[in-house]
Amino acid sequence: MAILQVKNLTHTYGGNTPFINDAVRDVSFTVEKGEILGIIGHTGSGKSTLVQHLNGLLKPTQGEIFIEDTNIWDNPKEIRKVRSQVGLVFQYPEYQLFEETVYADIAFGPKNMGLVGEELQKRVRETCKIIGVKDEFLEKSPFDLSGGEKRRVAIAGVMAMNPQIIVFDEPTAGLDPKGREEIIDVIYNYRKATGATVIIISHSMEDMAQIADKLLVMSRGSLVMFDKTENIFKNGDKLRQIGLNVPIVTRVFDILKEKGYSLPDDIFTVERAVEVLNKIKAGDLNA
Amino acid sequence: MLKDITFGQYVETRSPIHRADPRVKLVLLILAVVFIFLSGNFFSLMLSLAFVLATILVSRIPLKMYLKNLKAVLPIIILTSLINMFYGDEANGVLVSFWKLTITYDGLYRAFFMALRIILLIIISSSLTYTTTPNDLTDGIESLLSPLKFIGLKSAVHTLALMMTIALRFIPTLVEEAGKIMNAQKARGADLESGSLKERIKALIPILIPLLISSVRRAYELAEAMECRCYNGGEGKTRMKQLKISSIDFCLIGFSALFCAGIILLNIYF
Repeated sequence: MAILQVKNLTHTYGGNTPFINDAVRDVSFTVEKGEILGIIGHTGSGKSTLVQHLNGLLKPTQGEIFIEDTNIWDNPKEIRKVRSQVGLVFQYPEYQLFEETVYADIAFGPKNMGLVGEELQKRVRETCKIIGVKDEFLEKSPFDLSGGEKRRVAIAGVMAMNPQIIVFDEPTAGLDPKGREEIIDVIYNYRKATGATVIIISHSMEDMAQIADKLLVMSRGSLVMFDKTENIFKNGDKLRQIGLNVPIVTRVFDILKEKGYSLPDDIFTVERAVEVLNKIKAGDLNA
Repeated sequence: MLKDITFGQYVETRSPIHRADPRVKLVLLILAVVFIFLSGNFFSLMLSLAFVLATILVSRIPLKMYLKNLKAVLPIIILTSLINMFYGDEANGVLVSFWKLTITYDGLYRAFFMALRIILLIIISSSLTYTTTPNDLTDGIESLLSPLKFIGLKSAVHTLALMMTIALRFIPTLVEEAGKIMNAQKARGADLESGSLKERIKALIPILIPLLISSVRRAYELAEAMECRCYNGGEGKTRMKQLKISSIDFCLIGFSALFCAGIILLNIYF
């Protein structure tokens, strides 16, 4: 079942000023329940503008957005309800922490949804468990945590609202490799525990290869490709045309193929590469 | 809401006013403000109006941009004109009278007069920031304040100018940052638009605290970046862009002098 449908979405910034600018142009796509969708594209290609429409922070200049077959702008007064259905984690979410304790900060979202007392406490603790925020952190000030921990707490704040769809805008930006891996794990675990639909914006093709079922490629405000991750990465030339690229490991294997080795064309993650190489080592050259 | 803040926003249209010397523009702006205040009768106010309209035309910046600035001060304009409406001379005819209040024709005229005066002042002031980049503006201010050096405030002039440059430079950054934080808290279900006054003030806390923290962080980063580039104050610093008075400036000065003379004459003869 399609949980999210975007139809002919166009957004124009600065309509009546000299700074007029089409940020998103005629974008349509559907997301199935439980899918992980990746959005890739250059800086300024309209990715962030696009996702801000999904929870009604921006109103489309043209076009519609349906969540479970309901147009989210049917009832503009109820737009805040959409925000608990669609969670949005912004870039560098740790800059939005403000409460005195980690617990209070994670509870901010659920509290705004009307949860109180035991229910609220249960919700916060459940979320912390899923994404691995330790109990001893809960009474600390969020400003005493390390960068990666802050990011995790900020993400927990959105996850605690239990959204059906959760959108991440570059969740791993500015983190070290270990931090990146941890955040990817957090997203993965959350999806497994709740069955939520996940949308991720990222510049890292490696992260995308690891986690995304489908990819949506944006260039200059338009949707240029929308397909299964492997189909997109098999199309390296088209990606390079718009200034993007395939994962590094795929590039290595592409070069090997150019040198005349016969290798499969579905190697997008290091794990898969290791698997293929081991098979070759064992003598099964047609891996 | 935040998008409406246009103060400090520079709009490039390459008009003659854009190319004029910032020092000249600053002095002429002060003169224009004084003389708009001095226009005491209908005719001199109309001359002020004509002067402001001419400025808008020459600046090639759409009228809409100027009007946007007025939106923010609309309450002040309305309040001033409302109050003025009741302070007229009753001898010149009473329009309506109820309870202890009377609206006179004289009062209405005054209200209109005050409103137009404020509008003109705001438009002429915004024409400076629209046509002058923040950097030019502070260069101009620094240059105009430079006589202070002779009374023992040598480093103060430069520091003051630098502080202004930085403050102006960071207005759009902070506005953008505030917008981002607002969106993030809205995404977490924060309600910024409804509720009682007390609730609304409380709703600002999740925005103000992160904004404050990031301003302090930015200040540290900027200070460090400046030190890394060997910043050590204004001592011995020369300029890449020297300010020069050109023929455009003389035209602007002449034009403004005509305006000032016109106001004085109209004030005397009517």
